[in-house]
Amino acid sequence: MTKRTEKILVCCGTGCIANGALDVAAAIEAEVAARNLDVEVSVDVVRTGCSGECEQGPVVRLMPRDTMYYRVKESDASAIIDSLEGDPVEKLLLKKGGVQVEHMDENPFYALQHKVVLKDVGIIDPLSLDDYIAHGGYEGLKRALEITPEQIIDEVDKSGLRGKGGAGFPTGRKWRTAAGYDVFPKYIVCNGDEGDPGAFMDGSTMEGSPHAVIEGMIIGALAIGAEEGILYIRDEYALARDHIQKAIDSAYEAGILGDSILGTSHKLHLSIVRGGGAFVCGESTALMASIEGRVGEPRAKYIRSVQRGLFDHPTVLNNVETLASIPTILRDGGEEYAKLGTENSKGTKVFAMVGKVKHTGLVEVPMGTTLRTLIYDIGGGIIDDRHFKASQTGGPSGGRIPESLLDLPVDFDTLTEHGAMMGSGGMIVMDDRSCMVEVARYYVDFLCEESCGKCTPCREGLRQMRAILTDICEGRGQEGDIELLERICHTMEDASLCALGRTAANPVLTTIKFFRDEYEAHIKEHRCPAGVCAELTQFVIDAAACTGCGMCMKACPADAISGEKKTPHSIDQAKCIACGSCREACHFSAVLTEGRSA
Amino acid sequence: MSELVKEQIKLVLDGKECFCEKGEYLYDVAKRNDIFIPVLCRSDAFDDHRACCRVCIVEVEIRGKSKVVTSCVYPVEEDCTVYTQSEKIKEERAVVMALLAHRAPESEIIGGMAQGMGGTEGFARLTPLEAGKCILCGLCVQACDSLGTGAISTVLRGTEKRVDTPYGNPSKACIGCLSCANVCPTGEIVFEENEKTRTIWKREFELVFCEECGALMGTREMLERAAAETDGEVPKVCDACRKKAMADEMMHTYRFV
Repeated sequence: MTKRTEKILVCCGTGCIANGALDVAAAIEAEVAARNLDVEVSVDVVRTGCSGECEQGPVVRLMPRDTMYYRVKESDASAIIDSLEGDPVEKLLLKKGGVQVEHMDENPFYALQHKVVLKDVGIIDPLSLDDYIAHGGYEGLKRALEITPEQIIDEVDKSGLRGKGGAGFPTGRKWRTAAGYDVFPKYIVCNGDEGDPGAFMDGSTMEGSPHAVIEGMIIGALAIGAEEGILYIRDEYALARDHIQKAIDSAYEAGILGDSILGTSHKLHLSIVRGGGAFVCGESTALMASIEGRVGEPRAKYIRSVQRGLFDHPTVLNNVETLASIPTILRDGGEEYAKLGTENSKGTKVFAMVGKVKHTGLVEVPMGTTLRTLIYDIGGGIIDDRHFKASQTGGPSGGRIPESLLDLPVDFDTLTEHGAMMGSGGMIVMDDRSCMVEVARYYVDFLCEESCGKCTPCREGLRQMRAILTDICEGRGQEGDIELLERICHTMEDASLCALGRTAANPVLTTIKFFRDEYEAHIKEHRCPAGVCAELTQFVIDAAACTGCGMCMKACPADAISGEKKTPHSIDQAKCIACGSCREACHFSAVLTEGRSA
Repeated sequence: MSELVKEQIKLVLDGKECFCEKGEYLYDVAKRNDIFIPVLCRSDAFDDHRACCRVCIVEVEIRGKSKVVTSCVYPVEEDCTVYTQSEKIKEERAVVMALLAHRAPESEIIGGMAQGMGGTEGFARLTPLEAGKCILCGLCVQACDSLGTGAISTVLRGTEKRVDTPYGNPSKACIGCLSCANVCPTGEIVFEENEKTRTIWKREFELVFCEECGALMGTREMLERAAAETDGEVPKVCDACRKKAMADEMMHTYRFV
């Protein structure tokens, strides 16, 4: 009897764990043990990192037959083991257009992606160094050790890699500048302080493929001549920190880190510094201040970190995704990597797609993929097939991209030319029931708390903008508010101390640029077109469309809806708190919004 | 040319030709050339500048490209043309000052500066804080740090940021020296004094007077701190009386030589 090596991959990323993946993995393991399957089938339950489609989690994949199961529960363990030998479990397969899809590539969510950074995430056991090496890990490092630092940088230059934290600075150029300074010690720092609301690219990468980040750091250290490296990881990323620490430990044990990298005379020591959960510490100079033990405030960057960074020494700071791209570039060559992407933005970009899109999750696509492909082909379109309104990219500092820009290639430069930006990869999709003024207010409110508060334009500008935007949302908007907001925004853009402050005006500026009419409706007509701002919105039931199903009545938290079954319902405006629950609950689009009569 | 002589750079500051050494801060160059740039968070007492008030912004033009920089920490690295009063700078400085005036509604100094740099037109809509004079320039914290005391710091972040002692409790490290109050440009930091005590940052300090002339010598903590740093004893008389006593003694000694 032949021994088969079948694998059951259980996604144990943060999203899937929240949905019970650890219990599912335990149940599958128990089932394998109970059936004593070790003779015919050796089943290896690998706890992997995030496979990407978090919306449908926990995700379980059978290899090598490549069967993907979605929304798996503990109770499905027995059926899953049965299916190793027979037909797939139908109820756990994905349904696409009424047809069940078994394999990963048949799911458009995965089929249109191109994974470089995430290539091992969801495939390998992140805690196993052997597993990483079996998938080509540390090949890039071996090559880097065979060539000169100069040649490493040439290779990165050829790849066209640019900083994926959002700024898009050419990585090769940054390394070359740092390599040029003869001041020692030098440092390489990995920015794992991902803090944009809705973003989880870097966290998932660190969780799912920690050795890729470490390998990238070692290669970077060789290139610039650093012998010490620090990973700055935000405190909330407990799992990422744990996996990185374990990966560092195993790399030391295997002689990959330490005083002799793979038997050579090169040294590198890595350690983790926990971020305190301040958004501003993702800004490079604030991050370094935080590592040094000072208050996490940025400094003026007229002297750059590559010259005088951490402890006033030359420092290269790269984002997680940038570093995780390096091993592949060294292993396969920069030219190979540069085949992907657009003219000035090479390679791939990972997006954390969330919001009103059908399939939320982590996606990696070649640079230049359009938003339409991302949202409609990969993401499956807008929930309930509603109308797309805007996509928020790059977190609070990013911009809102309207429908008119859906077909533009997403890369570092194109969106910027159109007054939006790609940003770090957080992407929040909004439908026509999102109020752009309210969204701007939300981000300004977030930034009011997360600005470091050091410089006047950012701290005071945000405070004043929050007050004005709140007024507009609550019906107290005044003539001239838009112009005053713009004045404050332009001053913030020019006069703020750090990049966070200079981009903090983006949520307001881009919404004014693309959705000015919505601002005007709030201010002049006291009306919220999206029906979100409670003070400006009145919900009414369209008697012609209402079927009297009673769903809205059940959903109403204020007991404001009444009506007999199968006859049109109505809303008591005196009781209504304008929360919009009835509109969400209605399947017949019978709940309408109108401006509130003053 | 000797290596000690740094590279000379030529700038045109508001139309005036000036020279400076490479790396010199733009604000210092302007000041030396009698070109006034308003600033709030910068003090000659410190080498480092926090560059946080953003009032000293100016426009720098290099090879036809112009950018807004903070003159107090902008190192001049190459020939450039500088505008301290361009339309753009005037507008942005007016906004910054208006923002500060609404943050420190009780400060006449800030209110006056805001008035002078753009007036109130268009800013009536802004919401002032209820009270206060603090503009969060951080000079007090810098002064306290530079004396090695470290009794106060900025606490919290974002719009909630303020200067305070740890957890708002009376600071054990404070010696009541008043450096913070003296350096404060708006007079926000207040202290109380009577014949025996001084109260600042919620802590009361015993005042020590000269045993000879009765002049105020400082707080007990200040004198003890100074004595500890010089391995000396806490003095009983003030500097003037100590010098006078020394002079008397010398006069006495020389008279009998």
